[in-house]
Formats: sequence, C-alpha cells, structure tokens
Amino acid sequence: MAEKRITIQATRFDPDKDEKPHLQSYDIPFADESMVVLDALNHIKSYVDGSLSYRWSCRMGICGSCGMMVNGTPKLTCSAFLRDYWPHKITVEPLNNFPVIRDLVIDMDDFMHKLKSVKPWIIRKQEIPLGAGVHRQLPAQVTEFRQFSECINCMLCYSACPVYGLNDKFLGPAAIALARRYNLDSRDQGLKERLPVIAEAEGVWECSFVGECSVVCPKGVDPAKAIQQTKLDTTLRFTLPYGNRD
Amino acid sequence: MRTPVQMSTPPAQRTYSWSMPSAWWTRKRHYLLYVVREFTALPMALWLLWLLYDIKRAGSGPAGFYPSRSVFFVIFSAVCLVFAMYHSYTFLKLAGVIIHVKVLDKPVPPRVIVFMMFGLLAVASIVIGAVLIGFAR
Amino acid sequence: MSTETRKRPAYAHLFWWFMFANGGGLAALVLPVHILVQGILGPLRIVPVVDQHYDTWVSVLGNPIVKLYVLALVALSFFHFAHRLRYLLVDFGLHAAKSVPAQVIFYGGAVVVTLVTIWVLLTTAPITFG
Repeated sequence: MAEKRITIQATRFDPDKDEKPHLQSYDIPFADESMVVLDALNHIKSYVDGSLSYRWSCRMGICGSCGMMVNGTPKLTCSAFLRDYWPHKITVEPLNNFPVIRDLVIDMDDFMHKLKSVKPWIIRKQEIPLGAGVHRQLPAQVTEFRQFSECINCMLCYSACPVYGLNDKFLGPAAIALARRYNLDSRDQGLKERLPVIAEAEGVWECSFVGECSVVCPKGVDPAKAIQQTKLDTTLRFTLPYGNRD
Repeated sequence: MRTPVQMSTPPAQRTYSWSMPSAWWTRKRHYLLYVVREFTALPMALWLLWLLYDIKRAGSGPAGFYPSRSVFFVIFSAVCLVFAMYHSYTFLKLAGVIIHVKVLDKPVPPRVIVFMMFGLLAVASIVIGAVLIGFAR
Repeated sequence: MSTETRKRPAYAHLFWWFMFANGGGLAALVLPVHILVQGILGPLRIVPVVDQHYDTWVSVLGNPIVKLYVLALVALSFFHFAHRLRYLLVDFGLHAAKSVPAQVIFYGGAVVVTLVTIWVLLTTAPITFG
C-alpha cells in the first residue's frame, strides 16, 4: 500500500539573508493518524531541513510555546491534527500581529511587557501573619476566577485580535483576563494598583468585542468575557459605590 | 575579587514587522459578521433621523401634514429593520456574557440573563406596539 | 520602568463606553418595533398607526412622557452609533478616527442630534396631558 504523505508549507525568514518571509514546501510521510502539525515540523527539522526554526516544549497543550498560524487560524501546533487537514496541504506561518524574528519564531517582548504591567500575582496590603496559616477560600470563591486562571500565555488570542493587529499598544486579551483573575481572587488586594493599567486609554476600552480571542483560546479562558466584565465593573465602580475587596 | 563579567548585549535583530492586511475582515466569516454587526449602527441612525423628521412634520399643521407611505420608504424601513434586528440579536445575546449578577450568593447562568433580555425585548415590543397602534384611529 | 509614562484611567473612554452600552441596549429593545410598526405596517396600512394621521400623532406627541422617551431614545442611540461607527473606521485602518478631532466630530455629532431633538420636541405638538 502506498505510503500516505502530506505537504507542509512553512514560512522561512532568515533576517541576515531575506528581505521578507516566504513559504517553503515540504512533502513528508503521514505515517500515524495521531500526528500533529508539531510532529510534522519536528520531522522536517530532524530529517529534511535542520534549519527550520520554531518554538515548542511540552507537546501536550499546556506550556503555550508552540502557537502558530495553521491555515490562517492561530493554533497550538501540538493540538492540530494532520488528519483534520489531509489530503490538503497545511500552511504554517508565524503568529499574526507579532514581529517575526526568524522562520516561525515571533518576538513576544510586547506581550511579556504587557503581562508584567498588570501585576499578575497576589498583591496584599498586609501579609497575614505566619501563625494564621494559609489563606482560606471557599469553592465558590475559587469558581469566581478559576476560568481566567487557565491561561497558558500562548498568545493565540493576541494573534486573533484585529484590534491588536491594528494597534500594538492595546493591552490585549490575555493580560486583561489575567488582571481580572487576580482582581477577582479573594486573597488579592491589588485592584487599585491594576486599575490605572486596565482602565487607561489603551486598556479595556480599545476592545470592540470581536470575540475571536475567545474562539481561538485553547484553554477556554474566554478573555472576551473577562474584558467586557472588566469594562462594566470599572464603569460601575466610578458611577456607583461599588464594593471591592480592598 | 574581580568584578563580574558583563554579559555583552546580543547584536540587534532585524525583525520583520507585522502589517495588518487592509481587508483583514474578509478573511474569516466571524470577522465579517463582526463588521456587519458594527455597521448596523448606520441604517439605525438613518431611520431614527427619519423618525425625527416624522415628528417635525406634526408641527406643520393639519393642512400640510402627510404620512410616509411611499414604496421607497417601506423598502428603506425593511432594510433598516433587518439591520436593527441583527443589532438586537447580537447585543442582547452578548449582554448575557457581560452582565454578571448573583442571586442569593449564586451566580445567575448566562443563558438565564440572555433569556431575560429577549423576554424584555418581547415585552417592550408589545407595550410600544400597543401604544403605536392602540392610540391610532 | 522609569521611562514609562504614568498610566491612569481614561475617564473619557469610560464615559463614551457607558453611553455606548446604554444606547445600544435601549435601541436593541425598542427600535425594531418602531421600525416594524411605523416603517412598514403603518405605511402599508396593515394596522392603524398613530403617525399616519395628524390628530392622533399630535395628541401622542403632546404627552411629555412621550417627549422624554423620544429624547432618551434618540440621544442615547446616537451616542451608541457615534462610538460604534468611530471604532468601525479604526477597524478599517483609519487611525485618524482615534484622534481628538475625530472624537469631537462623532460625539459632538451625537450632541448636535440631541440638541436638534430637544428643539423638535419643544417646537412640535404643545405639551398636553391628554
């Protein structure tokens, strides 16, 4: 029986040699129905063209490293099965809306900077004394923020967001979702510190609720929901005496 | 003791900058529907401007008054109605995402909120329809 | 980072969004029935509608509650339209739509429509409680 094969088109860009990125085709064996796009890239790098550059790590959808455009949609390549595309060719490109460093590797400094700016950690005005033990939370209190804590910082949402694509100053879906995760955490007292960042001009207000971020999120975080709820809460905070857990 | 060796900064990389394709919104159905949703504001605004004009006409005295009856106006209204209904559908559905309330310490599920929003739409339509028709000859 | 400008809440954006949300909600709830009844059923004479006859239209418009309702509907809706259409231009790549002059044009336009509405409501159909 003839061996099954599949064509992968991958973006190549060598900053020292190329003016701009271009696509290169690779024809590889599709030996196993469980193969994902990341497996295909690894095969290319191992056996066909060792110069292909891309990021990956856990290969199981939890580290957030392997995000790339697969046929025009931002996906984790470790979770994109070849069988869903075969026999058509698969085009793998670097994540949209980011500068390209090389091949399929993008510059993520902007995201890292934005993530840090929302202070995604528990902020306390006063640490509880050691003798008091741990912070206690009811299951209902965990449920408040649980969904937004699932973010793996894969940046697929930034890639899907046309607002970010048009304006890279926009704070962006993941950063706002994570800000909300901490603002909703009963252990946190940092809402006031995060407010100037999320409520500034390039913060939540830039979002026009396209909603594509939530569509592509591999962990079901629903950053679009987080952003809209943040808009509402921030507005109510200034128009009503709205309780926060300071 | 020697001072620690400074790490030399790597040579500046030439990155390839992103530029947004101008027809980005044609590339995915979801993006196109988003643009349609945003666009609904324009026909709705135009129809409301007609309503203002319709109100103004009541000031022209009984002799000068004429109601809108032209075929063009009905077609215009029909087109605006389609856009207005799409606005209502998308806006009220999304209101379920954004509104988060608790009743007796339990969060109200989004679909209940959405159901209430559409219920409100039905009630408002019936009440206003009753006024517009009930007070007519 | 000391080179960063200090961030602060953008109260103007907050206000425009607030108006956008309220206007959109009101328009979503009431505009379809107005268009259906006054724009289609009435002109086609499928049902009798208030604005098809002078005396019924004037008597309804004389009611101050009706005037307030029309004002709220038009004013809030136009702030919604202004905000949405301004950002639609941004989506189409017109970055100038973010500038302060653009905000003046769009939100100022909504203010103008609101003022015109007040003028129309005050000069048409004297207030009666009938």
